[in-house]
Amino acid sequence: MSIQKLIMNLQKFWSDQGCYLAQSYDLEVGAGTMTPDTFFRVLDRRPWKVAYVQPARRPTDGRFGLNPHRVQKHFQYQVIMKPSPADIQDLYLKSLSSLGINLQDHDLRFDEDNWESPTIGAWGVGWQVLLDGLEITQFTYFQQAGGIDTFPVPVEITYGLERLEMFLEGKDNLYDLDWSDDVTYRDLRFVEEKEFSEYNFNQADVKLLKKSFDMRIKEGHKMSKEGLLLPAYDICLKCSHLFNLLDSRGAISVTERVKMISQIRILVNQIAEKYTSREDVS
Amino acid sequence: MEFLLEITTEEMPSSHVKIGLSQLEEKLKEALHVSSLSFSRMRSYGTCRRLVVVGDLSPEQKDRVEDIIGPPKTVAFDEDGIPTQAAVGFAKKHSLDVKKLVVLKTERGEYVGAKKITKGARAQDILTDNLPTIIASLSFPKMMRWGKSSLRFSRPIQNILCVFGESPLSFSVDEIRASDFTTGHKIFSPEKIRPKSFSEYNKALAENHVIVDQERRKQIILKQSEKILSSLGAQMYPDDELLEKLSFDVESPCVILGQFPEEYLKLPLDVLSTAMKEGQSLFSVVKGRKQLSYFLGVADVPRDAKELIRAGNERVLKARLEDAKFFWDQDLKVKLRKRAEGLDRVIYHEKLGSYEDKTQRLKKIAAYLLNKLEAKGDKKPAVEAAELCKADLLTEMVREFPTLQGKVGGLYAQEEGYPADVWKAIYEHYLPQSMDDNVPSSLNGAIISISDKLDSIIGAIGIGMEVSGSKDPFGLRRNAQGICKTILEKKINCDFCRLVDKVLAIYGDIFEIDKKDVKNRCLEFFKGRLQHILESQGFRYDLVNAALSPGIDNIYCTYLRLKALDSLKESAHFEPMILIAKRVNNILRNQPRYKINPDLLFEKQERELYTTFTIIQENVLSMIADGDFAKAQRMVFRMRSSINSFFDHVLVMEEDQRLKRNRLALLQAISKVLNQIADYSKVVVSE
Repeated sequence: MSIQKLIMNLQKFWSDQGCYLAQSYDLEVGAGTMTPDTFFRVLDRRPWKVAYVQPARRPTDGRFGLNPHRVQKHFQYQVIMKPSPADIQDLYLKSLSSLGINLQDHDLRFDEDNWESPTIGAWGVGWQVLLDGLEITQFTYFQQAGGIDTFPVPVEITYGLERLEMFLEGKDNLYDLDWSDDVTYRDLRFVEEKEFSEYNFNQADVKLLKKSFDMRIKEGHKMSKEGLLLPAYDICLKCSHLFNLLDSRGAISVTERVKMISQIRILVNQIAEKYTSREDVS
Repeated sequence: MEFLLEITTEEMPSSHVKIGLSQLEEKLKEALHVSSLSFSRMRSYGTCRRLVVVGDLSPEQKDRVEDIIGPPKTVAFDEDGIPTQAAVGFAKKHSLDVKKLVVLKTERGEYVGAKKITKGARAQDILTDNLPTIIASLSFPKMMRWGKSSLRFSRPIQNILCVFGESPLSFSVDEIRASDFTTGHKIFSPEKIRPKSFSEYNKALAENHVIVDQERRKQIILKQSEKILSSLGAQMYPDDELLEKLSFDVESPCVILGQFPEEYLKLPLDVLSTAMKEGQSLFSVVKGRKQLSYFLGVADVPRDAKELIRAGNERVLKARLEDAKFFWDQDLKVKLRKRAEGLDRVIYHEKLGSYEDKTQRLKKIAAYLLNKLEAKGDKKPAVEAAELCKADLLTEMVREFPTLQGKVGGLYAQEEGYPADVWKAIYEHYLPQSMDDNVPSSLNGAIISISDKLDSIIGAIGIGMEVSGSKDPFGLRRNAQGICKTILEKKINCDFCRLVDKVLAIYGDIFEIDKKDVKNRCLEFFKGRLQHILESQGFRYDLVNAALSPGIDNIYCTYLRLKALDSLKESAHFEPMILIAKRVNNILRNQPRYKINPDLLFEKQERELYTTFTIIQENVLSMIADGDFAKAQRMVFRMRSSINSFFDHVLVMEEDQRLKRNRLALLQAISKVLNQIADYSKVVVSE
């Protein structure tokens, strides 16, 4: 089964569970959790079901295309269900069966792994799901986002698409995976990995990134003040990516690191608070 | 009647299962005690998906019999013995037959009354009243909420099975109603099972691929491993922590043997075993002391019929080992010394600076300690180890496997050709990680370990961090206990107060809290930890107090004092000496200090005591200096008869102030020597 068939299967499965199929968000994010379809929607009290593919960028994970399973950009399949259904683990198992995995032939384990993202003031409790020792999914009950307790509690399921596909195809190198019948992961991604690794580690203009970070934080506060919460949040995402780039350039000192993370978090928390106090969402 | 409770949940961490089971059992027992419902054979079992308690309960409380007292006999009956209006009224009020009233003898005389029998409550009512609160009150190290429930638990509760005397009990916890069923293995047998008793429950679950008893699962894992490895003549490399985790993580243990390419055996054992243990939870396989290119995994399946689980784990492990090998080769390209230059960019703590700052402090503390220990030979290796010990924080290997910190630095130093007294010290400097862990084997390792931990503790106290109850964010308790353990086992004989002073001086003026205050808090903290360690080693608490009370100027000496007290506690001289020491201390209470003038000693007994004391003091002090507290103590015993006859014949509180002060001064001198051995007033003596 190719990656695109895998995606189509998951789309079908979760749409049958009543999820709205969102399109990938058009900004650089470190994880599917950070897009507005998750971040804002877990904050309010209304029920919410969504599923989508999200490219996730982590500049420091780049390996110039040389490592068989580490890349600076990978693809996640993100599902949010709020409130978390009582049978969510069963649903998840069924989604794996729908991919043709016979669970009775394998060892499937829910291994304690609690997730936390200080930059967006979020944390949750859950597991990494291991299939014959391979981590294929992150499964999390969101307890807090933007520093605010979630209620009802959403559950988040994040499939690592490359990992899952490596399992399905039984391959050891992710560049050998089939995206479609004719196109491989290598065809699509190898050059991108090489060039972006060079950019992330060696070329990105540190001065420009820093300046840009500072200016955007200012702009973010301004937009938040204006009540333009969605643009303000986009700016936070931008800052988070700028921070990651600076980090992979090795350009962040001890004190700067703490300061920059807290600058983003303060703004995100402020946005979350303003959002939840809006009448139409509470 | 048999009681069976099973809470099924989504997968709980193994540590939570253990905590949950002991709380569940304790809270249930407590509730039954309070309700005076007797029980026996209470026990608990669990897996990552179930908390189970079983026990035999009596079906109801004992009937309660109480006397109800009415009017005095003289009022209740008239002269002819016929009940009066008072008696009739009393009987009516308590719905009793007037003829059944009896005469009760009380302290105030004879009264009319009756024995009232209150039927004991039924066990099932007591259970249904208490269980919801008990279940909802279980607490775990990290709690969570789910759905729209207001419950907080380790992981979402899926079902509650509760059977008492073969029938289900009905109650609810939040929205979850207790049921009469459970389910088998999540993947292999999710069907409902309706057991009426624990033996049925146990049997049905076993048939449905769940072994409920954790001890049995552990034994199965060990037995299967042994069987699989016997043909290789190999053994599982023991790892109790991992075995414990796995025995809770699986309901149907199945041990799997896998292999990895031999080329990875070039990696050090620590790296190999960490890569196996973390993530995939695999055991290493050894033959004697040699690591083999095999691993053991524990799957949660009846069997790996198609060997897909083995193959899958092999593939994942190979990728991890390939990574580890890559990190190893990459890391070795940059020398540790060069790498250490980057430590100024790694934060240790916002208020305590970078790891470069910490390294600079460590160098000074280690050099000081070495000086004090008068260790013969070169100080260079220890200082060099201090300089390099944190460099591995910047390696790829530690970034990937944080638990390898220290060890991997030591291994890289070894590869770079540093001598053993440098690389070993780096390798060992995080030891001991717990009270069960080994202390560093080398002196330099011990010195760096103590310096590092003490630097952390004093820094944390200096910026106002508090350790209280379950809160210990910086691991200060573990660090302090690690220091004590290392000092005791490595027999490190040095002045602890001065060491603390030294560390404070090295920190300079960066604390907002007054240094004296930091020092006192630090010493108090260590005293508490040392007390905890010594008591848990089985020493009598009063002896521990007596040994600790003179202070912890020297932790190792404190320990020697205690050992001496402990070894002499059965001696015939011990208790009489304690009593007399207490007498000395009592008489000296609230007295200012005086000086002895030997010319003023007139009575025979006081002169005798003075002579004995002078000789004994000289001997005792040299014995203490040699650390031989038992000998010193036995020497002190010899003063007893002189002190006794002094008390018998000499009046201390003489009217002549000069004589009185001189006698007090003599006792003060004696007391001062005694107190260097122990604070005898803390010893409990049966009189």
